[in-house]
Amino acid sequence: MTRPNIGIDDEVREMTEKEYAELLASGWTEEGTNDLAP
Amino acid sequence: MAVKTFTSATLSSSDTNTYLANSGLVYIKQQTIGNGVATQAVTSAFSADYDSYRIVVSGGTASALGSMRMQLGSANSLYYGIVNYATYGAASTPLSAGDNNAALWGYVGYCSPRYLAASIDLINPFDSNKYTSYLAAGWTAETAAGTASGLQQQQASYTAFTLSPQTGTFTGGTIFVYGYRKA
Repeated sequence: MTRPNIGIDDEVREMTEKEYAELLASGWTEEGTNDLAP
Repeated sequence: MAVKTFTSATLSSSDTNTYLANSGLVYIKQQTIGNGVATQAVTSAFSADYDSYRIVVSGGTASALGSMRMQLGSANSLYYGIVNYATYGAASTPLSAGDNNAALWGYVGYCSPRYLAASIDLINPFDSNKYTSYLAAGWTAETAAGTASGLQQQQASYTAFTLSPQTGTFTGGTIFVYGYRKA
């Protein structure tokens, strides 16, 4: 699977594996289903 | 500074400079959110020039519904927060959600395919001797709304922050950073 992009100021690039692991650890999900979200 | 009532049709350079220099919120910078990014970092946002900041996000869209989240610098622990919210309509039951030693603040704004929205007051992000707080952030989902606040319990100094959608990616909104003038 392609990792998502990260923006750092005006630079946009694909996340590194480490950055992607940290994103997933933060509770981020690729797709959501609930407007109330919490 | 005392409020002054101007009586002449032409402002002097002295008055103009004084009142420009003593505005309340001072624009620091803005950053366009990248196309389809899962996180957007804003560097060089905080400095010794200000103790407190207002961060506003407008425009843009997200790939999915979900909270907007915020991280300070590279700190990824000791975030605490709460959002109190209810679904739209009279006598709606109050609900809440929160962060308990989380990797970031999870409820500083909201992301939707139809809008991005955040207005965050941030206190002491640059002061290495203080915890950083965020206050009275509006949280406006499509079927509910509320207010959020929280604390980052590390005595650390930050110059950058990162916003991200809880789910998917966001695109194209603008992040505005203002400082509360100290003197």
